[in-house]
Amino acid sequence: MDPINFNFLCSEPAVPNGRSVGIIGAGPSGLAATGYLSCLGYQVEVYDKLPKPGGLMLFGIPGHRIPKERIDLGVRNLERLAGVIFHTHTKICCSGPLHDEEGDHFCREILGFGDMVKKHDAIMICTGSWRSRKLGIPGENLPGVFSGLEFLFPIRAVQYCAPNVKVPEVAGKAVAVIGAGHSAVDVAHSAVHLGAAKVFHLYRRTAREAPCGAFEIEQLREMGVEWVEKATPVRILGENEVKGLEISVSGLDGIENRTLPVALVVAAIGETATPPFAKELGLENVRKGEVRWLHMTAIENVFVAGDALSGPSKIGKAVYSGLRSARSLANWLDLKAQDRLDAYEDNDLVANEAGFRRGA
Amino acid sequence: MSGRKTLYIDYSLCIGCETCEFVCRFTNDTSRIHMTRTADGVMVPLYCRHCDNPKCANACPRGALKRDRDGAVILQPMLCRGCQTKNCILACPHAAMFETDRGVMIAKCDLCAQRRQMGMGPACVEMCPCGAVMYVDRDEIPKLETEKSRLALQKVLDHLKLPGKN
Repeated sequence: MDPINFNFLCSEPAVPNGRSVGIIGAGPSGLAATGYLSCLGYQVEVYDKLPKPGGLMLFGIPGHRIPKERIDLGVRNLERLAGVIFHTHTKICCSGPLHDEEGDHFCREILGFGDMVKKHDAIMICTGSWRSRKLGIPGENLPGVFSGLEFLFPIRAVQYCAPNVKVPEVAGKAVAVIGAGHSAVDVAHSAVHLGAAKVFHLYRRTAREAPCGAFEIEQLREMGVEWVEKATPVRILGENEVKGLEISVSGLDGIENRTLPVALVVAAIGETATPPFAKELGLENVRKGEVRWLHMTAIENVFVAGDALSGPSKIGKAVYSGLRSARSLANWLDLKAQDRLDAYEDNDLVANEAGFRRGA
Repeated sequence: MSGRKTLYIDYSLCIGCETCEFVCRFTNDTSRIHMTRTADGVMVPLYCRHCDNPKCANACPRGALKRDRDGAVILQPMLCRGCQTKNCILACPHAAMFETDRGVMIAKCDLCAQRRQMGMGPACVEMCPCGAVMYVDRDEIPKLETEKSRLALQKVLDHLKLPGKN
């Protein structure tokens, strides 16, 4: 199997240019930026809290969709051919409490952000979206209620034998999956493969409107998953463990309440971005495009890209954001070295980006 | 046509992540491969097959579409006048000619001609996370096809065909 070629922009290793860049997060946008910058001769160091680079491509999306070897080989090429240094198990601390996000229990080392800024010529934050949205219904904190990421992450992560990582016990139990994105589909798939007695798949709209597409749902049905559409979870029953899930289903004769006899509930209803120091970095302004340099945060020489900036999205958008951000970072360092930053005070780089148009 | 390379996408491996589209957009400013969604919700990239008998080239009144040394069907912007007939767009059975808002207002895949000059492969192939996009010899394609990929391709072609034509 051929590797993903993160260094696709150059055909041979570049001549070192004597500058170093630190990239926080080794997901799709981080690795794309790494490839871009190492092609320009930057010494790139990548920090990631997980035991292996790849981010959600490796730990969130099941292996039958994205082959693990493709990512592994691509990362190895970055190390060997482009001289990129990967620091795994390392978290750059941190706006929220530790163990707040998925995958935090892997980190063995915590580095301060201030030291990073001093150590490197520039930093790029590509920390993605690792905090799951909550349902906001009673009983949500019972053991046996998972988010999509909480459910999927350990299935991949358990291969790297960290303590505290346990695959959810599904065998013989009934499972309710809420949501109809691709991660919900993956949860339902995994639940069937882990031997669930019964899988209910709930969505608030119809199969035709599902973000994952009706085709995926058809395939799940063939696997024996029961599809319940126009369903809203109302309450999770039980005291010390999940005993059932009460839902309201809107049908032709109005709204009807049903109770599903499930022992596990997985709410795969999306994630939110988890950038460190969102406030100090002024990320809200970057999102709106109110910055004087594309993707630059309130701290000079700290850039941001990928899901951390624009929220959960597809791999392609993260890659594009990482590449553009890396280009912007390299441009900025060059102009700064020549002391010509003023020349670009009112540049229109930011206004050009689709979705980040000023005043739009 | 043997010994000539082309792009091949195994639709059954594609997860619709749009990496090919965005990498192409980064490399070429305007993307020449586009993600679309079929009526039953399968995400598929539309791409140029660099056909043996390219219908776009036959339809072009000015002969602006030509095959290059490596077998890629290439749009020559100096000959294309961006005509209003848009014959090439209509002629392509794979919906792989795209209207844009710049230049001659037509974009099509040239198998990364500029990158090939420097001995590199098409960018979308290099970055596809799933290995679904391949740069292969035309003759190899039948060997790469699986039952699943044929089924997925049929779904896509059914989606693309003109209404009422079977």
